[in-house]
Amino acid sequence: MTEGGALGPAGVLRSFSRRADASAIAATTVLFLAFSLGTANFLSSFNQFNVWRAASQNVFIALGQAMVVLIGGMNLSLGAIGGLSVVVIGHSMEVLGFPPFLAIGLGLTTGLVCGLLNGFFISRFRLNSFVVTLASSFIFQGLVNGISQGRPYSKIPPSFTLVGKGELLGIPNLLLLVVLALVLVHVAFRYSVVGRQLLATGGNAETARLSGIKTGRMVLLANVLSGLFASLAAVLWVSRMGTAQPATGGDWLIVSFAVTVIGGTALSGGTISAPGFLFAGLLMALIRNGLIMLGVNVYFEQTYLGCIIMLAVMVEYFRTTVTGKARKL
Amino acid sequence: MLEIQSISKSFPGVAALTDVSVDVRPGEIHALLGENGAGKSTLMRIMCGLLKPDSGRMALGGRPLFFEDAHDAIESRISIVHQEIQVVPLASVAENIMLDKLSAFRRGPFLDWRRLEEEARRYMGMVGLTVPCQTAAGTLSAAQKQLASIARALSSGARVLLLDEPTSSLTLHEARTLFALLRRLKAEGVAIVFVSHKLEEVLELCDVVTVLRDGRLIGTRPRQELNRDAIVEMMIGRSMRDAHRGFLPVRGGAPVLEVRKLKSEFFDGLDLALWPGEILGLYGLVGSGRTELARTLIGEYPYSGGEIRVRGERTRIRSVHDALHRYRIGYVSENRKEDGLILGASVTTNIAITIWPKLSGLLPGFLSPRRELEKSREMIARLEIRTPSPAQTVANLSGGNQQKVSIAKWLVAGCDILIIDEPTVGVDVGAKAYIHELIWRMASEEGKSVLLISSDMPEMVALARRILVFKQFRIVAELADLNRAQVANEEVGRRIGACLA
Repeated sequence: MTEGGALGPAGVLRSFSRRADASAIAATTVLFLAFSLGTANFLSSFNQFNVWRAASQNVFIALGQAMVVLIGGMNLSLGAIGGLSVVVIGHSMEVLGFPPFLAIGLGLTTGLVCGLLNGFFISRFRLNSFVVTLASSFIFQGLVNGISQGRPYSKIPPSFTLVGKGELLGIPNLLLLVVLALVLVHVAFRYSVVGRQLLATGGNAETARLSGIKTGRMVLLANVLSGLFASLAAVLWVSRMGTAQPATGGDWLIVSFAVTVIGGTALSGGTISAPGFLFAGLLMALIRNGLIMLGVNVYFEQTYLGCIIMLAVMVEYFRTTVTGKARKL
Repeated sequence: MLEIQSISKSFPGVAALTDVSVDVRPGEIHALLGENGAGKSTLMRIMCGLLKPDSGRMALGGRPLFFEDAHDAIESRISIVHQEIQVVPLASVAENIMLDKLSAFRRGPFLDWRRLEEEARRYMGMVGLTVPCQTAAGTLSAAQKQLASIARALSSGARVLLLDEPTSSLTLHEARTLFALLRRLKAEGVAIVFVSHKLEEVLELCDVVTVLRDGRLIGTRPRQELNRDAIVEMMIGRSMRDAHRGFLPVRGGAPVLEVRKLKSEFFDGLDLALWPGEILGLYGLVGSGRTELARTLIGEYPYSGGEIRVRGERTRIRSVHDALHRYRIGYVSENRKEDGLILGASVTTNIAITIWPKLSGLLPGFLSPRRELEKSREMIARLEIRTPSPAQTVANLSGGNQQKVSIAKWLVAGCDILIIDEPTVGVDVGAKAYIHELIWRMASEEGKSVLLISSDMPEMVALARRILVFKQFRIVAELADLNRAQVANEEVGRRIGACLA
């Protein structure tokens, strides 16, 4: 940073490159321009609507992962919690005939309870989050299959899709929600006592505890938040699709980690970058959408996705080497 | 033997070494001294091939040396034993010693374990490491790991041995064993370069002293020509005598902290009282129970019997959270890097971490960043923490300034009982004097009560006005007269030594 705010072009570039989310922002911008120029229909309002909705969905999924990543943990049961919430929502409306609001409440409660369970085992018995959430992912997935018997719930009232399919002034509601959520996350982790204590716990749990922070509670809270974001993503998923598919959540794990890491939240914990999520979420959506637009064989989609994630990580590596500020991944 | 000629090295923004020349001769123990940031580590890293100098030459026995990496240095029989002792914890001691030359023990595609262990045992015998060679290295004590590291260096045929603060994690007794070994190696013609912050051991052990300051060579002089004061003067560029600081106005009446018949996993009926405005020293060897007591007092370790009273009130402290928010007790940890600081976070975060709940802003549960910054600036000024800005990452500060930050977080929280564990480990001479002054002022001017844990005898004598001597989790003696009459350092040392014998 130079004094007086008068930054030359080089200065702007330098201070930009120091941002943890710089590569996500740069890569997303480049890809967006490339697809705009390279394909005819990419910029059509229909396509844009879908891309941004998918991006928003990715962000909510990633926030579920980020809540535990920032305390240095992980949640392998994220997708299973999402799937279970979807099934609970579908089941309560189609089979039990509950109104949408009650279904949403039950869906969110599902996420909360699942997160509470994960957090309880991790914090009370000081177990590794990898092991605990690996085990619980099987438990939750089993419930998904058992309750739904593998069949989708399609009798979702049209009112349920107002949020997921609707728009305001041409902007998808989902995107508005995501922006709101990210602003809240940003403010919470910068200015709230609990947010700062969560980050401190992720930065160094021993130090945090020896500084008077109840780190056990922080671990519990992070896992509850993780479960809540997973079920929130599930509610929006049903709202966007208009059906409740038990298969929902199958690819959430990879998406959640990819968006979190590309967005500039270190896997070692202690940091979070709210704007990074939006760009990284969009990046993932763009890749999927762009590949279809370009007429690439969709069966290979994951390979391209993997290559681009790898590329993003490499860009990140060179960025940190060049700016000389190594970030722990 | 090892000649360093006009070596210079810069990093972006800093000249770490400027035109430094040193000559290390065989059969001598050569102390390399300087404050933190003086360039000792850089020089050591250049000598063992971890860094390449920008200019200058190195030669070994007249032959010029060019290192591409650390492996080249080992080939040239120069080995380093790092400060942070590096072993593969799950591998055996023998494996650890032979780690860098496993290929020498190949038999076909397999390892010839018998030969490897035989060879390892030979070097273990040389350094006096008496554990079975199949022991997992992770189970060794710090001293034993150190010996294993030296055995590894020797097994590479080291003729020049670089030791970076080898005693920082050793007890007094273990350090003695190490010194005996170094003297033996010296007699065998090994050249030893020895970096340490403990001047007493330098004076005891070394033959030649080289001092660096701000990346420049201040001088290389034989040990006989120097005493402690002369070395300190070379290191910090001015003379500094430890004058007696006077006496503390300890208030009588009720003790501010009282431990009665404490029973726990560690202690069997321990008693202790701390009066307001007092600096009470807990002296003892590493592992004598002082840190365990500190951690019991702050609720980290449970106790089963007896009681702890704070300001007369019987307490039940279950966590640091209780100790801090209910009883205003602060604990400055002995390992600031492991559990005293969040190294990746800013100075402000590390200072204000204890008071976030009190910095409420407009909304409940939210803190005011303006007040947080104010508090942080206030402490930076009060403790003269040298940092470019409050937002600076703590990892980038020097050891002394990091230590000030880890003290600041308790001062900002208004703690008036402070438990300070080894406050100046890895802190350079100048910052050490400042931290001593700070602890003294907290007690003498602000009336704070301090439990000072230290294994550094001069530090203990300089600050504590009453000393409890710990041995095997018991208090074996009390030196209660230090606040009445000035007792010479040597006298205190002698009396404590007599208690520990």
